[in-house]
Amino acid sequence: MKELDPLLHSQLRLAVMSILMNVDEADFSYLKEKTESTSGNLSVQLDKLATAGYIYIEKGFAGKKPRTTCRVTETGRHAFAQYVDALKTYLNL
Amino acid sequence: MEEKKITEAQSLEIITEMIARSNVRRQLGNGNIMLLWGYLSVAVAILVWSLLMCTHNVMWNWLWFLIWIIGGTATPIMARKQRAADGIKTYVDNISNGIWSTVGYMAIASTLICLAFLLFAGKDVWGMMIVFAMLGVGFAEAIQGIVIKEKPMIFGGWVGILAGLILMASLFGNIALQINWVIPLFITAFVCMMIIPGHILNAKARNEK
Repeated sequence: MKELDPLLHSQLRLAVMSILMNVDEADFSYLKEKTESTSGNLSVQLDKLATAGYIYIEKGFAGKKPRTTCRVTETGRHAFAQYVDALKTYLNL
Repeated sequence: MEEKKITEAQSLEIITEMIARSNVRRQLGNGNIMLLWGYLSVAVAILVWSLLMCTHNVMWNWLWFLIWIIGGTATPIMARKQRAADGIKTYVDNISNGIWSTVGYMAIASTLICLAFLLFAGKDVWGMMIVFAMLGVGFAEAIQGIVIKEKPMIFGGWVGILAGLILMASLFGNIALQINWVIPLFITAFVCMMIIPGHILNAKARNEK
Protein backbone atom coordinates (compact mmCIF):
# COMPACT_ATOMS: atom_id res chain seq x y z
CA MET A 1 0.00 0.00 0.00
CA LYS A 2 1.33 3.46 -0.95
CA GLU A 3 2.34 5.76 1.89
CA LEU A 4 0.34 8.98 2.27
CA ASP A 5 2.48 12.12 1.91
CA PRO A 6 2.81 13.36 5.53
CA LEU A 7 3.00 16.96 4.35
CA LEU A 8 -0.44 16.70 2.75
CA HIS A 9 -1.97 14.36 5.31
CA SER A 10 -2.86 17.22 7.64
CA GLN A 11 -6.22 18.96 7.89
CA LEU A 12 -5.27 22.54 7.05
CA ARG A 13 -2.52 21.85 4.51
CA LEU A 14 -4.77 19.41 2.64
CA ALA A 15 -7.60 21.97 2.65
CA VAL A 16 -5.32 24.66 1.22
CA MET A 17 -4.00 22.35 -1.48
CA SER A 18 -7.54 21.21 -2.41
CA ILE A 19 -8.59 24.83 -2.95
CA LEU A 20 -5.46 25.74 -4.89
CA MET A 21 -5.90 22.69 -7.14
CA ASN A 22 -9.34 24.03 -8.05
CA VAL A 23 -8.36 27.63 -8.89
CA ASP A 24 -5.46 29.32 -10.64
CA GLU A 25 -4.51 31.47 -7.65
CA ALA A 26 -6.03 32.49 -4.32
CA ASP A 27 -5.09 35.18 -1.84
CA PHE A 28 -4.46 34.78 1.89
CA SER A 29 -7.83 36.23 2.97
CA TYR A 30 -9.73 33.91 0.63
CA LEU A 31 -7.88 30.83 1.96
CA LYS A 32 -8.41 31.97 5.56
CA GLU A 33 -12.15 32.40 4.98
CA LYS A 34 -12.67 29.12 3.13
CA THR A 35 -10.58 27.01 5.52
CA GLU A 36 -11.94 28.80 8.61
CA SER A 37 -8.42 28.96 10.06
CA THR A 38 -6.50 31.57 12.06
CA SER A 39 -4.00 33.88 10.31
CA GLY A 40 -1.08 32.58 12.37
CA ASN A 41 -1.78 28.91 11.72
CA LEU A 42 -2.50 29.43 8.04
CA SER A 43 0.68 31.43 7.62
CA VAL A 44 2.79 28.66 9.20
CA GLN A 45 1.18 25.94 7.03
CA LEU A 46 1.59 27.99 3.85
CA ASP A 47 5.27 28.41 4.63
CA LYS A 48 5.63 24.62 5.07
CA LEU A 49 3.96 24.00 1.69
CA ALA A 50 6.11 26.65 0.04
CA THR A 51 9.32 25.25 1.57
CA ALA A 52 8.41 21.82 0.14
CA GLY A 53 7.93 23.48 -3.26
CA TYR A 54 4.24 22.56 -3.38
CA ILE A 55 3.01 26.15 -3.64
CA TYR A 56 4.39 29.47 -4.80
CA ILE A 57 3.73 32.49 -2.59
CA GLU A 58 3.81 35.98 -4.05
CA LYS A 59 3.66 39.05 -1.84
CA GLY A 60 2.40 42.20 -3.52
CA PHE A 61 -0.07 45.02 -3.14
CA ALA A 62 -3.70 45.56 -4.14
CA GLY A 63 -3.82 49.34 -4.19
CA LYS A 64 -2.18 50.32 -0.89
CA LYS A 65 -3.07 47.09 0.93
CA PRO A 66 -0.56 44.22 1.07
CA ARG A 67 -1.79 41.10 -0.71
CA THR A 68 -0.35 37.58 -0.51
CA THR A 69 -1.31 35.26 -3.36
CA CYS A 70 -0.68 31.54 -3.54
CA ARG A 71 -0.67 29.17 -6.47
CA VAL A 72 0.13 25.48 -6.70
CA THR A 73 3.37 24.47 -8.47
CA GLU A 74 3.87 21.51 -10.80
CA THR A 75 5.58 19.68 -7.90
CA GLY A 76 2.54 20.37 -5.73
CA ARG A 77 0.15 19.27 -8.44
CA HIS A 78 2.07 15.99 -8.87
CA ALA A 79 2.23 15.42 -5.08
CA PHE A 80 -1.52 16.03 -4.74
CA ALA A 81 -2.31 13.60 -7.57
CA GLN A 82 -0.12 10.95 -5.91
CA TYR A 83 -1.78 11.63 -2.55
CA VAL A 84 -5.23 11.10 -4.08
CA ASP A 85 -4.02 7.88 -5.75
CA ALA A 86 -2.69 6.61 -2.42
CA LEU A 87 -5.94 7.62 -0.71
CA LYS A 88 -7.91 5.53 -3.19
CA THR A 89 -5.95 2.41 -2.23
CA TYR A 90 -6.61 3.02 1.47
CA LEU A 91 -10.33 3.53 0.88
CA ASN A 92 -10.60 0.74 -1.71
CA LEU A 93 -12.00 3.12 -4.32
CA MET B 1 -9.44 24.38 11.04
CA GLU B 2 -6.20 23.28 12.65
CA GLU B 3 -3.03 21.44 11.74
CA LYS B 4 -3.87 17.96 12.99
CA LYS B 5 -3.61 14.38 11.81
CA ILE B 6 -6.63 12.99 10.05
CA THR B 7 -8.02 9.67 8.89
CA GLU B 8 -8.17 8.68 5.21
CA ALA B 9 -11.94 9.12 5.16
CA GLN B 10 -11.60 12.61 6.65
CA SER B 11 -9.05 13.45 3.93
CA LEU B 12 -11.60 12.65 1.29
CA GLU B 13 -14.21 14.76 3.08
CA ILE B 14 -11.83 17.75 3.27
CA ILE B 15 -10.95 17.53 -0.42
CA THR B 16 -14.64 17.33 -1.43
CA GLU B 17 -15.66 20.12 0.95
CA MET B 18 -12.91 22.52 -0.18
CA ILE B 19 -13.61 21.91 -3.87
CA ALA B 20 -17.30 22.67 -3.24
CA ARG B 21 -16.48 25.84 -1.28
CA SER B 22 -14.20 27.22 -4.00
CA ASN B 23 -16.60 26.33 -6.84
CA VAL B 24 -18.48 29.61 -6.90
CA ARG B 25 -19.87 31.54 -9.85
CA ARG B 26 -18.28 34.95 -9.94
CA GLN B 27 -19.63 37.10 -12.73
CA LEU B 28 -20.68 40.37 -11.12
CA GLY B 29 -17.46 42.12 -12.15
CA ASN B 30 -17.64 40.81 -15.70
CA GLY B 31 -21.13 42.30 -15.96
CA ASN B 32 -19.89 45.71 -14.86
CA ILE B 33 -17.06 45.77 -17.39
CA MET B 34 -19.48 44.77 -20.15
CA LEU B 35 -21.83 47.56 -19.12
CA LEU B 36 -18.97 50.07 -19.21
CA TRP B 37 -18.07 49.11 -22.81
CA GLY B 38 -21.70 48.85 -23.87
CA TYR B 39 -22.88 52.23 -22.58
CA LEU B 40 -19.61 53.89 -23.63
CA SER B 41 -19.85 52.57 -27.20
CA VAL B 42 -23.52 53.52 -27.53
CA ALA B 43 -22.94 57.01 -26.04
CA VAL B 44 -20.01 57.74 -28.35
CA ALA B 45 -21.92 56.39 -31.37
CA ILE B 46 -24.89 58.69 -30.61
CA LEU B 47 -22.52 61.64 -30.08
CA VAL B 48 -20.67 61.05 -33.38
CA TRP B 49 -23.94 60.45 -35.23
CA SER B 50 -25.47 63.68 -33.91
CA LEU B 51 -22.38 65.76 -34.70
CA LEU B 52 -22.06 64.29 -38.21
CA MET B 53 -25.74 64.97 -38.93
CA CYS B 54 -25.52 68.54 -37.63
CA THR B 55 -22.18 69.63 -39.08
CA HIS B 56 -21.41 67.19 -41.94
CA ASN B 57 -17.78 67.42 -40.80
CA VAL B 58 -16.08 63.98 -41.03
CA MET B 59 -13.42 65.07 -38.52
CA TRP B 60 -15.91 64.16 -35.77
CA ASN B 61 -15.17 60.52 -36.61
CA TRP B 62 -11.96 60.88 -34.57
CA LEU B 63 -14.24 60.86 -31.51
CA TRP B 64 -14.61 57.08 -31.99
CA PHE B 65 -11.23 56.84 -30.29
CA LEU B 66 -12.89 57.91 -27.04
CA ILE B 67 -14.19 54.32 -26.78
CA TRP B 68 -10.68 52.85 -26.76
CA ILE B 69 -9.18 55.60 -24.58
CA ILE B 70 -11.85 55.54 -21.84
CA GLY B 71 -12.58 51.79 -22.02
CA GLY B 72 -8.91 50.82 -22.27
CA THR B 73 -8.02 52.92 -19.23
CA ALA B 74 -10.95 51.94 -17.01
CA THR B 75 -11.04 48.19 -17.75
CA PRO B 76 -7.69 47.17 -16.16
CA ILE B 77 -8.52 49.23 -13.05
CA MET B 78 -11.98 47.63 -12.73
CA ALA B 79 -10.60 44.13 -13.38
CA ARG B 80 -7.84 44.56 -10.77
CA LYS B 81 -10.33 45.78 -8.15
CA GLN B 82 -12.64 42.87 -8.92
CA ARG B 83 -9.85 40.31 -8.58
CA ALA B 84 -8.75 41.81 -5.26
CA ALA B 85 -12.36 41.71 -4.01
CA ASP B 86 -12.85 38.08 -5.13
CA GLY B 87 -9.55 36.86 -3.69
CA ILE B 88 -9.14 34.22 -6.40
CA LYS B 89 -8.37 33.85 -10.07
CA THR B 90 -9.82 30.80 -11.79
CA TYR B 91 -8.90 29.05 -15.03
CA VAL B 92 -12.05 30.56 -16.58
CA ASP B 93 -10.70 34.01 -15.66
CA ASN B 94 -7.48 33.14 -17.50
CA ILE B 95 -9.41 32.16 -20.64
CA SER B 96 -11.50 35.35 -20.48
CA ASN B 97 -8.41 37.52 -20.00
CA GLY B 98 -6.76 35.79 -22.96
CA ILE B 99 -9.80 36.28 -25.22
CA TRP B 100 -10.24 39.99 -24.41
CA SER B 101 -6.50 40.74 -24.47
CA THR B 102 -6.41 39.28 -27.99
CA VAL B 103 -9.35 41.51 -28.99
CA GLY B 104 -7.54 44.51 -27.51
CA TYR B 105 -4.34 43.75 -29.47
CA MET B 106 -6.42 43.20 -32.64
CA ALA B 107 -7.98 46.64 -32.10
CA ILE B 108 -4.55 48.27 -31.76
CA ALA B 109 -3.27 46.45 -34.88
CA SER B 110 -6.39 47.43 -36.87
CA THR B 111 -6.02 51.09 -35.84
CA LEU B 112 -2.35 51.15 -36.86
CA ILE B 113 -3.14 49.52 -40.22
CA CYS B 114 -5.93 52.06 -40.92
CA LEU B 115 -3.62 54.94 -39.96
CA ALA B 116 -0.85 53.56 -42.19
CA PHE B 117 -3.25 53.30 -45.16
CA LEU B 118 -4.38 56.88 -44.56
CA LEU B 119 -0.90 58.37 -44.10
CA PHE B 120 1.09 56.42 -46.69
CA ALA B 121 -1.50 55.59 -49.36
CA GLY B 122 -4.10 58.30 -48.78
CA LYS B 123 -6.78 55.60 -48.54
CA ASP B 124 -9.64 55.80 -46.05
CA VAL B 125 -10.15 52.25 -44.79
CA TRP B 126 -11.71 53.15 -41.42
CA GLY B 127 -14.76 51.09 -42.36
CA MET B 128 -12.64 48.09 -41.40
CA MET B 129 -12.63 49.28 -37.77
CA ILE B 130 -16.38 49.18 -37.51
CA VAL B 131 -16.41 45.69 -39.05
CA PHE B 132 -13.80 44.62 -36.52
CA ALA B 133 -15.74 46.23 -33.64
CA MET B 134 -18.74 44.04 -34.39
CA LEU B 135 -17.18 40.88 -35.82
CA GLY B 136 -14.17 40.68 -33.47
CA VAL B 137 -16.01 41.74 -30.32
CA GLY B 138 -19.03 39.61 -31.22
CA PHE B 139 -16.88 36.52 -31.75
CA ALA B 140 -15.05 37.06 -28.43
CA GLU B 141 -18.37 37.62 -26.68
CA ALA B 142 -19.88 34.41 -28.09
CA ILE B 143 -16.78 32.38 -27.11
CA GLN B 144 -16.86 33.76 -23.57
CA GLY B 145 -20.57 32.98 -23.39
CA ILE B 146 -19.83 29.38 -24.40
CA VAL B 147 -17.04 29.11 -21.78
CA ILE B 148 -19.15 30.41 -18.88
CA LYS B 149 -22.38 28.87 -20.26
CA GLU B 150 -24.32 32.14 -20.57
CA LYS B 151 -26.88 32.12 -23.37
CA PRO B 152 -27.48 35.92 -23.44
CA MET B 153 -23.77 36.40 -24.19
CA ILE B 154 -23.81 33.75 -26.93
CA PHE B 155 -26.91 35.35 -28.47
CA GLY B 156 -25.48 38.89 -28.14
CA GLY B 157 -22.20 37.72 -29.66
CA TRP B 158 -24.06 36.29 -32.63
CA VAL B 159 -25.88 39.59 -33.20
CA GLY B 160 -22.45 41.26 -33.38
CA ILE B 161 -21.07 38.57 -35.70
CA LEU B 162 -24.04 38.89 -38.09
CA ALA B 163 -23.82 42.70 -38.06
CA GLY B 164 -20.08 42.46 -38.80
CA LEU B 165 -20.65 40.01 -41.65
CA ILE B 166 -23.31 42.31 -43.19
CA LEU B 167 -20.86 45.22 -43.06
CA MET B 168 -18.05 43.12 -44.53
CA ALA B 169 -20.30 41.96 -47.36
CA SER B 170 -21.24 45.61 -48.00
CA LEU B 171 -17.58 46.62 -48.18
CA PHE B 172 -16.78 43.79 -50.61
CA GLY B 173 -19.90 44.66 -52.65
CA ASN B 174 -18.85 48.32 -52.86
CA ILE B 175 -21.98 49.37 -50.98
CA ALA B 176 -21.29 52.65 -49.19
CA LEU B 177 -21.33 52.45 -45.38
CA GLN B 178 -23.79 55.28 -44.72
CA ILE B 179 -24.09 56.57 -41.18
CA ASN B 180 -27.89 56.45 -41.28
CA TRP B 181 -27.82 52.63 -41.20
CA VAL B 182 -24.32 51.76 -39.98
CA ILE B 183 -24.57 53.66 -36.66
CA PRO B 184 -28.02 52.27 -35.75
CA LEU B 185 -26.65 48.79 -36.57
CA PHE B 186 -23.61 49.50 -34.37
CA ILE B 187 -25.84 50.68 -31.50
CA THR B 188 -28.15 47.66 -31.82
CA ALA B 189 -25.18 45.28 -31.86
CA PHE B 190 -23.60 46.81 -28.73
CA VAL B 191 -26.92 46.85 -26.85
CA CYS B 192 -27.30 43.11 -27.62
CA MET B 193 -23.62 42.24 -27.08
CA MET B 194 -22.83 44.22 -23.94
CA ILE B 195 -25.71 46.05 -22.28
CA ILE B 196 -28.39 43.33 -22.13
CA PRO B 197 -26.02 40.46 -21.11
CA GLY B 198 -24.23 42.78 -18.65
CA HIS B 199 -27.46 43.57 -16.81
CA ILE B 200 -28.52 39.90 -16.88
CA LEU B 201 -25.17 38.80 -15.39
CA ASN B 202 -25.37 41.41 -12.64
CA ALA B 203 -28.96 40.45 -11.81
CA LYS B 204 -27.95 36.77 -11.58
CA ALA B 205 -24.97 37.61 -9.39
CA ARG B 206 -27.18 39.70 -7.08
CA ASN B 207 -29.69 36.84 -6.77
CA GLU B 208 -26.92 34.36 -5.91
CA LYS B 209 -25.62 36.52 -3.02
